[in-house]
Amino acid sequence: MKNVSKLATVIILLLIVLTLSTFTVDQREHAIVFRLGEIVSVKDEPGIYLKAPLVDNVRFFEKRIMTYDPPQPDRFITSEKKNVLVDSYIKWRIIDPSQYYVSVNGDERQAERRLSQTVNDGLRAEFGKRTILEVVSGERSEIMDILKERADRDSRQIGIEIIDVRLRRVDLPQEVSESVYQRMNAERKAVANELRSQGFADSEKIRAEAERERDIIITEAYSDAQKVKGEGDAKASRIYADTFSKNKEFYDFYRSLEAYRKSFSGKEDIMVLDPNSDFFKYLRGPSKK
Amino acid sequence: METMRNILKKLSLRNILAANNDGPPDLDELFVDIKKKIDNVFNIKSGKSGGNGNLNNGKQPVNSNFDGIPTGTILLVVFLIWMATGFYIVDQGSRGLVLQFGKNTEITQPGPRWHIPYPVETVEIVNQEQVRTTEVGYRSSRSGGTSQELRESLMLTGDENIIDLQFAVQYNLKSVQDYLFNNRSVENSVRGAAETAIREVVGKSKMDFVLYEGREEIAIKTKSLMQDILDRYKSGINITSVTMQNAQPPEQVQAAFDDAVKAKQDLERQKNEGQAYANDIIPKARGTASRLIAEANGYKAAIENEAKGNASRFDQILTEYTRAPEVTRNRLFLETQEQIMSSVSKVIVDQKGSNSLLYLPLDKLINQKSSSGNQEDQTQASNQRTNSGSSASDVINSITERSRGAFNARERDAR
Repeated sequence: MKNVSKLATVIILLLIVLTLSTFTVDQREHAIVFRLGEIVSVKDEPGIYLKAPLVDNVRFFEKRIMTYDPPQPDRFITSEKKNVLVDSYIKWRIIDPSQYYVSVNGDERQAERRLSQTVNDGLRAEFGKRTILEVVSGERSEIMDILKERADRDSRQIGIEIIDVRLRRVDLPQEVSESVYQRMNAERKAVANELRSQGFADSEKIRAEAERERDIIITEAYSDAQKVKGEGDAKASRIYADTFSKNKEFYDFYRSLEAYRKSFSGKEDIMVLDPNSDFFKYLRGPSKK
Repeated sequence: METMRNILKKLSLRNILAANNDGPPDLDELFVDIKKKIDNVFNIKSGKSGGNGNLNNGKQPVNSNFDGIPTGTILLVVFLIWMATGFYIVDQGSRGLVLQFGKNTEITQPGPRWHIPYPVETVEIVNQEQVRTTEVGYRSSRSGGTSQELRESLMLTGDENIIDLQFAVQYNLKSVQDYLFNNRSVENSVRGAAETAIREVVGKSKMDFVLYEGREEIAIKTKSLMQDILDRYKSGINITSVTMQNAQPPEQVQAAFDDAVKAKQDLERQKNEGQAYANDIIPKARGTASRLIAEANGYKAAIENEAKGNASRFDQILTEYTRAPEVTRNRLFLETQEQIMSSVSKVIVDQKGSNSLLYLPLDKLINQKSSSGNQEDQTQASNQRTNSGSSASDVINSITERSRGAFNARERDAR
């Protein structure tokens, strides 16, 4: 029993000593061991480590990639003297904890300020060389690469590696946006007008084409019809000529009579006659003439 | 007690491993020491109970209780409780990451699990398969509606236009280790990558392409660019889809765009109307053409037949005429006269004796004879004859001539 309580005491004492003389480093952290304010070692690997109790002091720093996202987009001027609002973010990581600690006192905010200054300088320089169009579409990734290289070179001095610098948004300021909208409106209006005129033109073309076709169809038919009629007339003429030329004088007489018959056939035709005419010769008297 | 032994084994094994890694020999010795001490405790107990030299016998704590050593029991209970804090459950679709002294040593699958309790080991449970969503350009509210985020959704296109684009990114994890250990605030990284990727893609495209035919392509390109970016950060994220929720011109120019779309429809409509007109008149024209041809053929046949008929009639009469010319001639003349005289109205005037002027009210006569007659003809007919004619042929000639076509066919032609 005495042994057991002794053991308990020993265990508790051991635990106290252990907590004071060891520390664990997480996979997500760097640790710096200070002995009375002086850096004695940097622990990059996770695990449990010993330290001198009370004398040693351990500080932990983030090992994962962090994001610096400026709260406000910054204004930059492009080569054609236009303002753009640029919103970017920086992915960074501490690679040299002691350097980092010495340079920015281990303060993330201070580190971010430093990074944002570097990146903004880069942005200003790169944007100043390019037009909006180049910034927005053509050389966007080049700019980002250049910025990253530049920022990385600079930040190595403070124990930081820049993983990436990316342009999140490149927008036009409000007043420029308005003029863009106006231009877009005008463009669409032009497109709409063109479409409508095109529609009218197409429609007219189709109609005119149809009318032309119609006229051709009808006139061709007319021409054919006239030809056929002409053939008919010619044939009829020939028949008449052949027959009537057998006795011209009689034809004259016969045809005239027929014409008279046709001309005077109704009660509405009034004839004023002289009784001396041939027709009435027997009406005047029975004598032979 | 079987597990107990395993635990101890595991513990000692791991400690040795850890010690080897970082090599502080003190630590190793320390643990060996602890182990020895623990062994001693059990040995003492077993010695008292009945000389059982076995390291871990389940019945021994009970025995020590009988011996009236409550401190040992308390220690054991504390130890057991400490051990029990190592139990954890990994849900389906999740993974447990066991960290021994801050270093990831094991990934556990779903199910009930145990790790060496704090401070030696800790566990982080991460849901790997759950599909997470990031919305860009809009936010869904809990009530089901959405609100637009203009700052995110408006972007510049390659032809310097502004469009309004809203999309959602869905992702899960392809590596829980990468997810947990490489990035702080991974969700923000996804949003950042989404915004920068879409703007890069849209910035290289023309507005019409983004708005209409290119939506799918934009989504695909954005997805692969995002994946590239996130892989560069070793974030362990797997983008499963990028879906365009909305791609439209900004509000300020919406009306003009709608009008342009309408204009396109107008164009189609006008074309269709033109075509409809064409489809109407051309068949009609063909109809008219057929009629013209048919009529011409009819005319031809008719006029030929008429000619043949007339000719044959004349031919026959001519035959008779040559046989007896005088008689036939007279007969024909008289028959004609008879026919005419019997049908027309006649006024016979003998003017030989009197030279006085004769009043002949022809208009009245005509009105009498034909009340339903032709009005125009009446005025023409009201010619007065004052002079005396002489021969019969004159009489006929003096009648006001009315134009009547010699051939019926000619009339038809005029039509």
